[in-house]
Amino acid sequence: MERKEVVIIGGGPAGLAAAVELHKQGVRDMVILEREDRLGGILRQCIHDGFGLGRFGESLSGPEYAQAFIDEVQARGIPYETGAAVLELTCDRKVTAATRSGLRQYEAKAVVLAMGCKERSRGSLGIPGERPSGVFTAGSAQAYMNLYNRMPGREVVILGSGDIGMIMARRLTLEGAHVQAVFELLPHPSGLPRNIVQCLDDYDIPLYLSHTVTEIHGRTRLTGVTVAEVDVDRRPIPGTEQEYTCDTLILSVGLIPENQLLEGAGIVIDPRTNGAAVDEALQTSVPGIFSAGNVLHVHDLVDFVSLEAETLARSVAAYVAGTPPVPCNLAVEAGRGVGHTVPQRVSGTADFTLSLRVTGHYRDCRLVVRQDGREVVSKRMKKAIPAEMVQLAVKAGNLRRIGALEVSVE
Amino acid sequence: MKKQYTCIICPNGCEIEAEWDNGKILSVVGHTCPKGEQYVRQELTAPKRTIASSILVENGVLPLASVRLTAPIPKEMIFPVMEQIRQITLRAPVKAGTVVCRHVCGLESDVVVTKNVEERKQEE
Amino acid sequence: MQEQYDVIVIGAGVVGSAIARELSRYRLRIAVLEKNLDVCNETSGRNSAVVHGGFANPVGSLKARFCVSGNKMMDKLAAELDFPFKRCGKVLVGNTPADMEQLQRTMEQGAINGMDGLELVDEARLHELVPAVVGKFAMWSKNSGIMDPFLYTIALAENAHANGVSYFFDHEVTGIHRETDVYVLQTGKGDFRTRWVVNAAGLGCKRISDMLGITGYRVVGSRSNYIILHKRMGRLLPMPVYPVPNNVYMGIHVTPTVDGNVTVGPDAENTDKLDDYTVPQKNIEELAASGTVLWPHIHKKDQIRTFAGIQPKLVDENGTVQDYKIEIRDDIAPQAVNLVGIESPGLTASVPIAQYVVELMREREAFAENPAFNPCRKGIVRFADCTPAEQARLIASDQDYGELVCGCEGVTKAELLAAIHNPLGVVTMTGIKYRTRAMMGGCQGGFCQMKIEQMIEQELGCRPQEVCYSRKGSWVLTGNMRGEA
Repeated sequence: MERKEVVIIGGGPAGLAAAVELHKQGVRDMVILEREDRLGGILRQCIHDGFGLGRFGESLSGPEYAQAFIDEVQARGIPYETGAAVLELTCDRKVTAATRSGLRQYEAKAVVLAMGCKERSRGSLGIPGERPSGVFTAGSAQAYMNLYNRMPGREVVILGSGDIGMIMARRLTLEGAHVQAVFELLPHPSGLPRNIVQCLDDYDIPLYLSHTVTEIHGRTRLTGVTVAEVDVDRRPIPGTEQEYTCDTLILSVGLIPENQLLEGAGIVIDPRTNGAAVDEALQTSVPGIFSAGNVLHVHDLVDFVSLEAETLARSVAAYVAGTPPVPCNLAVEAGRGVGHTVPQRVSGTADFTLSLRVTGHYRDCRLVVRQDGREVVSKRMKKAIPAEMVQLAVKAGNLRRIGALEVSVE
Repeated sequence: MKKQYTCIICPNGCEIEAEWDNGKILSVVGHTCPKGEQYVRQELTAPKRTIASSILVENGVLPLASVRLTAPIPKEMIFPVMEQIRQITLRAPVKAGTVVCRHVCGLESDVVVTKNVEERKQEE
Repeated sequence: MQEQYDVIVIGAGVVGSAIARELSRYRLRIAVLEKNLDVCNETSGRNSAVVHGGFANPVGSLKARFCVSGNKMMDKLAAELDFPFKRCGKVLVGNTPADMEQLQRTMEQGAINGMDGLELVDEARLHELVPAVVGKFAMWSKNSGIMDPFLYTIALAENAHANGVSYFFDHEVTGIHRETDVYVLQTGKGDFRTRWVVNAAGLGCKRISDMLGITGYRVVGSRSNYIILHKRMGRLLPMPVYPVPNNVYMGIHVTPTVDGNVTVGPDAENTDKLDDYTVPQKNIEELAASGTVLWPHIHKKDQIRTFAGIQPKLVDENGTVQDYKIEIRDDIAPQAVNLVGIESPGLTASVPIAQYVVELMREREAFAENPAFNPCRKGIVRFADCTPAEQARLIASDQDYGELVCGCEGVTKAELLAAIHNPLGVVTMTGIKYRTRAMMGGCQGGFCQMKIEQMIEQELGCRPQEVCYSRKGSWVLTGNMRGEA
């Protein structure tokens, strides 16, 4: 058992940014544990550009964005171990990881959860039909193409208009596959508007809203899918079924925080985010365990992941320095039009950034935070859509010490 | 005539409306930064895009190095440029930032590597 | 090619594999012909995976007899063959006086069939056994259990193989004729000559029976759908929960798996399409609704996948389900053992069925014992199930144990290499999945399938487009994106 001030689980954008900021805050006794054989996380396979406009002022590819942080981690001499898969995390912050050179056991003062997220799979959607080969999540198709130099198929249908799905529509097209269409169950796209333009419209790939795949065909390789229009309750409308002949179905139907380790430590999970419920210091229900990035809640942009991880790092630095914790007893609740909020509870004595997603498409709306009905802060927005994460700065000066907060769209 | 655009320059995705007549732009509204207006003016005249892809790496720890373009290219040149990118093969080690094709297809844009690929050690 | 076998078993399901293993106790040249690319691809692997208690089968039936003896020998088999088996018990839950009567009849039937450990329990005791169950009383069968049907069948087959049985996958029998004392089995890959033939073709039993000239059987497919729930749900369900059964149908039940998942199913409807495993939306919803009546923890968010299974049921002219038919028709097809309608409880009953088959053969021919027969077989060590001390030892002995490939299920590179080089020579993605649990977890292979595909290519020296998902023709990739195809 080796003692560490901080153990960071995950060497993707969140873990890297947290490590660099911790180092800036004076923390030295830390280690990043990364399960893959190199740092960078999922950015390694996101070879498209559009990353880092907020942070670096230029449009970088995923690997370049990651490399900027990796370079900084290396320049600062921050210890990290790749090929280290965490097997267990306990509530008293013991971390066990498997590596090729043996088991590593750490006892940490603070643990940073930065494991990112995973994709929803076909199974969790329960799409009826056969189980042929040729059904991929967008991320696994992306990994096959961008990391492993493999082509997943030729005739493609995409279910779900998440950003990775749209990016893969373009990627597959550029590599010679034929993408027939993207179908989205919801009446609005799940991904960013710019991706509809530059990934679908540019390549004449139609996007059909309020449609879903109702059956998968093929006993060996996929031979086709049945697609139907859905009603307001998302139920397929009989008579609208259409058959599409294809050998590949790409699913881009949502991301879920990688929360497997959380359960072992008894960390309270917010069923709305599927990540840990945290306070304004991004501390989970278990003292000394903190969480940021996509393992906490799914972000739309990596720039926000990095920022959140840096916020986390500052509170972790304070925690390991022995700053007494501030009780966070004010609940933050998602009101009308809001799907979830992070953090889920606050002290009322410190400024914090509230991250949230709206549940529908809104124009000329106002996001309002109220405490016991009293308006605390608000933000005017020309438009608010579920694809975009919204952030609001909340000043402690506007808050009272008691009374739950509620965020809603007006 | 009027046309709606979603700006692709940044994730904000501003909705911009342009009005033009006889090939002359009369007005551009809805953008929240100068890049938005510039984008729409470009779209109306000669739309440009950038692309990202990968090139084959021999003897590397990874089979591919990712690449991107340093500047947007005319939309109709996307597939010819892809064809060029497909032809490029490098030998490891490959460094991010290396320009592997200057003025691809004679355009004002280079193909640049975006990922480091180290050399594969003999007999791991 | 014209090598002659003493026995050819058609079908590498659980029964065919058990028969092959029982036969390997004797000095015989044995082959198994299987049309799929792996064992356990059809009925054997697509069911509730419950080790039954033999109380739900009619008194005097082969089903009852083999089920009870199969149940009793399961600990010994699990010890010999190293497959997961838990004698966790199960409850049949009732609410009404009619339910109570039926449960009492079931208990009596079970007692006559020779099963012990059956007890009626009240609501309080029932809730001690299964906290969240909904019901007023139950029959508790202490000796029922759960197992992994894939690993069980793989274990039987690998042990048979280790004792000299040859396996031929992708070998569908398309015709049988008899030349003097020898059967000639035609396959797409040449003819096989054998003195004995055993029809263990499961869903194909009628087709093979007809080829043998034993005609007139009516076999219908009984199709069932299941939902699989996430592992976190298994902790809430210590044993299978069934409704009150009748002798024909067990009813929709919720069952923990040995790996901690929960299955909900089966519904049952007859089908002519014996290879259609489509799971319809309507059935998924109905299963969840029916299962919830017994156990309230069935939520859509916990569903990780669905599957369907088909059982071959032998029926009479009225459609009534019959007992197993296991016969040698010396008049029509001598030296051919014909098994028809081997359905539930076939998993539990597999070894007794196999022993019975061998008995029928030995009544007609003396087989010399195989002195080299070894009943034991070791499976792939599961890193995730080991203690930290054992894990450290494993890594010290082989670094590949320190490289986790499937994060969700904790499967290491060492286990995957062992699975890729499995003794039976199976090379499909699902073959590796069933042998290791890789790709079975929360992300369903989203992160690890590429690595596993890569390992198959490297270890077996094949091209990307040659890697199969499960059945023949289920290619995974079209090839390389750059460079040579």
